[in-house]
Amino acid sequence: MSRAIEVEKITKTYRVKSRRGLFKSSVEFVEAVKGISFTANYGSIVCLLGPNGAGKTTTIKILATLLLPDSGSARVAGYDVVEEASKVRENIGLMLTVEKGFYGKLNGRENLEYFAALYGLPRSIALKRIDHLVKLLELDKLGADRKLYEEFSLGMKARLSLARALLKDAPILLLDEPTLGLDPPSARKIRELVRDMAHRENKSILYTTHNMFEAEIVCDRILLINKGVIVAEGSPEELKDKIPKLKVINLVIKASGDPGKPLERFTFRKEIKQEENSVFNVKMYVPKPEEVLGEIVKALVNSGHEVVNVRVEEPSLEDVFIYYSEGSI
Amino acid sequence: MSFIDILRAEFRLEYNDMFRRKSVLLMLILYPYLFTLFTLFIGYAGGSPGVFIEKFGLNPIVYLITSSYILMSILASIDVLLWRPLYDSENGTLIYIISSPVNRLKYYIALPFPRYTELILMGATSILPVYMYYYGLEGVLLSLLMITLITAGCVVMVPFAIFIAGVCHRVGESWRIINIVRPIVMILMGVYYPRFYIPLIGYVIGSLIPSSFIVEIIQRTLLRLESNTYLLLAVAFTLFFLYLPASAWSIKAWEAKKVKEGVKIS
Repeated sequence: MSRAIEVEKITKTYRVKSRRGLFKSSVEFVEAVKGISFTANYGSIVCLLGPNGAGKTTTIKILATLLLPDSGSARVAGYDVVEEASKVRENIGLMLTVEKGFYGKLNGRENLEYFAALYGLPRSIALKRIDHLVKLLELDKLGADRKLYEEFSLGMKARLSLARALLKDAPILLLDEPTLGLDPPSARKIRELVRDMAHRENKSILYTTHNMFEAEIVCDRILLINKGVIVAEGSPEELKDKIPKLKVINLVIKASGDPGKPLERFTFRKEIKQEENSVFNVKMYVPKPEEVLGEIVKALVNSGHEVVNVRVEEPSLEDVFIYYSEGSI
Repeated sequence: MSFIDILRAEFRLEYNDMFRRKSVLLMLILYPYLFTLFTLFIGYAGGSPGVFIEKFGLNPIVYLITSSYILMSILASIDVLLWRPLYDSENGTLIYIISSPVNRLKYYIALPFPRYTELILMGATSILPVYMYYYGLEGVLLSLLMITLITAGCVVMVPFAIFIAGVCHRVGESWRIINIVRPIVMILMGVYYPRFYIPLIGYVIGSLIPSSFIVEIIQRTLLRLESNTYLLLAVAFTLFFLYLPASAWSIKAWEAKKVKEGVKIS
C-alpha cells in the first residue's frame, strides 16, 4: 500500500494587500510554507506542532485541496492534490474549525445528514453511520443530536465537527487544532477517539496543534514546524533525545527584589516567570546540574531570596521546541 | 451521487430554516403586498388608476400584485444562488462544501428548488385571493396558470443565475456587484415595465435572460394581448440548456480562483 500522505517540497506565499490612505495600497508577500516535505503512513498519527503562523493550517489546506501550492507536490491516498482534487476529496475527512461550519437552524443530526448527502453517502448508510457516530461521540448524551447547532457549547461543536470528519469513513483524516479552546473532558474524548481511529481502524491522521502536551500524548510522530519550515521530526522520545544532554533546574523562589540579578553570573539559558506577587519560577538549562545547583541556591539565599522548591527534570517537549525554533537552549 | 439526495438535503435545510425563523415565513407572505402598496403609492402620486385601466385595460392592483409576485419569485431564485456562497463563506460551511466530492452543477441546480416550493405557497397567499376577488372562479384558474408559468420562469433562470453568480464571485467584494446586478436583471426582465414597451436595445439585451420570455407570456396573458406562447416557452427552455455549459464553466472558474487564493476558513 502506498503512503497515505506524501508531501514533497511544497511552498506557499500569500500576497497580502494593505491599504495606505484612501487610494494607496501596498503589497506584501508572506512565505507561509517554505519547501516542506514529509510522509504519513496508514495507522499512525502525525502531528504538525508549531506556534500560530507556523504554516500548519496552510499545509492542511493544501492537502485538503482548499489551497494551491506555489511549487512542490503533494499526494493524498496516492492522488495528486492539484491534478486529482476530486479523488483526494473522496478520501479525506476534514476538521478545520471547531467553532463554526454548520447551519445554526439545524440540529446536530440534521447537520450530519446534510453533509452526508454532499459526501454522496446513500441515505440508508448515512443514517446508520450517523447513529453510530452520535453514540461514539456521546452527542446523544449531550442532547446535541436534537438541539439546534446555534445553541451548542464549544465542546459539542467540536464533537459534531469530528463526527462530520468521520462521516464517510475516509481512510485519511486531516484535523486542524481539533481541541482548541475545549473543556478538558471534551478534549480528552477527542484525543482518545483520534488514537483509536488511527490504531484500531488503520486510518492515517494528520493532526495540528500548538499544545506540546497534546502532541506528546496523541501523536506517534511529531513534525516541529516553525516559520514555514520543519525544524525537526521524530517520535516525542526521539526528539527529546536529539537535543544536547541538558537538564532543567526548576526553582520556585519567594523573591525580595529581582531574582534575576544574583543569577546573572550563570551563563546558562534561563527563563524567569512571575507566578504570584513575589513568587517566581526560574528554569535553567544546564549540562551538569549537580555541579552548579549548590552555587545557584547559595547565590539566591545570599541575595535575600527564599528558595521554596528545587527540582531537576528531563527536558520536556516544550524545551525541545524552544531548542529547535531558537537554535539553542 | 444522487441529485435527489442533494435536493432532499436542501429542502430540509430551507424548510427547517424557514419554520424555525418565523420572521422569514411572515416576510414571505407579506412581501408581495408590501411591494404592491409601495408601487401603488408611487403610482397614485403620479396619476389615477383610471388612466392605467384606460391605457392597459387592466386593474393596476392585479397587474402590480402579479408583477411583485414574479419579481419576488424569480429574483428570489437568483438570490439563492448569488448570496448562498457568501453566506456559506461567513458561516464557515463553504470549506466543507468545496472539499466535498459533490457534483458542483447538481449542487447549484438543487440550491434554489426548495425556494420554488415556498414561492408556490406564496402565490396562494398573494395572487390567488386578489384574482378571486376580481375574477371570481376564473381567477382561481388564472392564478394556477400564473403560478405554473412563474415556476417555469424560475426553473429556466437557474443556469443563467449560476453563470452570473460565478462571474460575480470571481470579483472581490462580490456582494457589491450583486447589488448592482439584481436591479439590472429586474429591469431587463421587464417585470414592472413590459419589455415589449421598452426600446429595442433593451429588448435584445433582455432576451438574454431566459425568464424574460415567460414574464412576457404572463404579461400578454394579463393584458389580453396576442402572444406566441409556445415559441416564447421554447426559447426560454432552449436558453436554459444553452446556459448549462456556461454555468458549469462559471462555477469551475470561480472555485479555481477561490482555491488559488485559498478558501477562507471563516
